[in-house]
Amino acid sequence: MKHRIDEAGVWNNNHIIEIVNLFKVYRGGVDVKALDNINLVIEEGEFLAIVGPSGSGKSTLLNMIGLLDTPTSGKILLKGIDITQISADERARLRNRELGFVFQYHHLLPEFTALENVMMPMLIAGVKKEEARATALQFLEDVGLGDRINSRPNQLSGGQNQRVAVARALANHPSVVIGDELTGNLDTKTSDLIYDLLRKLNKKINQTFILVTHDTELAEKTDRILRIVDGKLVCEMRREGDRFVSTEVCQTAEAE
Amino acid sequence: MARKHMVSNPKMVLFTVMSVALAVAVIVLMMGLMEGYRGEIIKSTVENNPHIIISSKENEDYISLYRTLSSTVWDYPDVQAVSPRLLGKAGAKYKDEVRGVSFVGADPAQEDPLMHVQEDVVEGDYLDLVFKKHSAILGTKLAEELEVKPGDDFYLIRMNRSLKLEVVGLIQTGTGSDESLVYLPLEAAQDLMDQGDVVSQVGVRLGDIYAAPSITDDLNARTSYDVKSWQDQSRDTLELLDTQKAIMYIFYFLVFVIAGFGVANAMIMIVSRRTKEIGILMAMGTTGRSIVQIFLTESVIQAPPAALLGCLMAYIVARLIEAYPIEMPSDIYMVSRMTVTLTQEVFVYAVGFAILVNLAAGVYPAYKASRLDPVAAIATE
Repeated sequence: MKHRIDEAGVWNNNHIIEIVNLFKVYRGGVDVKALDNINLVIEEGEFLAIVGPSGSGKSTLLNMIGLLDTPTSGKILLKGIDITQISADERARLRNRELGFVFQYHHLLPEFTALENVMMPMLIAGVKKEEARATALQFLEDVGLGDRINSRPNQLSGGQNQRVAVARALANHPSVVIGDELTGNLDTKTSDLIYDLLRKLNKKINQTFILVTHDTELAEKTDRILRIVDGKLVCEMRREGDRFVSTEVCQTAEAE
Repeated sequence: MARKHMVSNPKMVLFTVMSVALAVAVIVLMMGLMEGYRGEIIKSTVENNPHIIISSKENEDYISLYRTLSSTVWDYPDVQAVSPRLLGKAGAKYKDEVRGVSFVGADPAQEDPLMHVQEDVVEGDYLDLVFKKHSAILGTKLAEELEVKPGDDFYLIRMNRSLKLEVVGLIQTGTGSDESLVYLPLEAAQDLMDQGDVVSQVGVRLGDIYAAPSITDDLNARTSYDVKSWQDQSRDTLELLDTQKAIMYIFYFLVFVIAGFGVANAMIMIVSRRTKEIGILMAMGTTGRSIVQIFLTESVIQAPPAALLGCLMAYIVARLIEAYPIEMPSDIYMVSRMTVTLTQEVFVYAVGFAILVNLAAGVYPAYKASRLDPVAAIATE
């Protein structure tokens, strides 16, 4: 299998994320390889989907990129910084400034309103309250919830909460936005609205998006599709014009 | 910084606030009782004893020039009373009953301003002693034990002398001396002692009780009499109280530790219930330090209401104790009832302690919270 591995030590400005020989092994009675020698380069401004069956390691990989989990071995470079080597505080700072995370479930803070939830990452970053409020309002407007800003998560539907979560992930203008099944709970119309918003931001400020999804329709709207099976990258497809071209021999026959 | 603390479960907060409040209440009350007891002891010392006692010179048993001495003492400012007194022990006999007594022989006109004897006389009149040389006022309990009533004659016996006296009144001081006290005119006491025109001490009462040490020092320097202030006399008791204080502080500490465990327990519960939210906050880039801060704030924020509530409870109980006095055996405790003196200091200490307790109790849970694994934390349901 041939992957795009860059010459060691030289950081290409366009490579926002580089993953080198990444392993994650869950030790127990039997060692489980959740990630098995992943090598991957993601360039700034890419709009990318990771697909694969349940338990294939997609979410684990996403958690690694999102700095929530640490690999057993291997390197992850975010903007050239090896995030496996830095302090907890620095990791927290990067999570806050460089990454936006949308989880499979919305994971909003239940005691806070939609507006406060979206403001939270900015307040953590030390943005002034008024400024955070204005930005949060704009994003909530963008996800179509301008009229529900003072509702709490238990007063909103699953789809609405998911949209709040998207707004929250975008709030700090992170360089990389990571979504784990972010349209899973949304109807087609809202799903399209969210996709359009993400795509607009992707074009406008060259934000990078990494989405784990089961939704083929959404995956096919992205520029690059990675398929993970049993912790291994088995297939990669890139958009060329209106169709996808496999840059690798896709080993599995089963269609997503 | 996400300073907005996570609003906790109101019920849980109520219980932790109550546990700290109770600790604060107990401690405020204990401090108040100690302070009150101290105050009572000083008060009873000052009320029931002369502020300054001048005793005989070193090699003499009695003061014979007591009139000169009295006038010397009167020269000091703020002197309210000077009374030469002859004190001694004797046996009291009525019919078949005999009891040991301490008698005070003094001129009622001088002794009353000194000791406020009349205030404690429950039957008869102390000043009657002026007109009847062979009369006496007895402590209520002594009279009970002797089965003697006002109007009866009894005998005071000392060495081989005895004196027939008429009971003209009863006195109740509320202290142990009610069992043995006998007031009689100075002349009668001098008769009994058979030492001529002498007294054993001169008692002085002052307007300002805290002037006593300086006057005492001055008198000791000017005369060769043995002069003692009330502070000298109650020194042992006050020192005992100070020793007790140290033990009480250990007790306070333990009470706070117990309350602290309650708070820590509740905080650990809160942390475990909030695990998911902590994970989310971490995913958004909250540093471990901020998580610690959030939970410490959460813990400490409960201190002021707890302290307030505790102080309020203590205050109410203190008022109840004042309203419904609890009698104490006066011969053991030297005072006959519990009093609570709540000074501002006590409240300040209580509030300070409450904050410290909450802070200390919050440290471990907050640290635990900051060390959670975000992935696992978010996965908890």
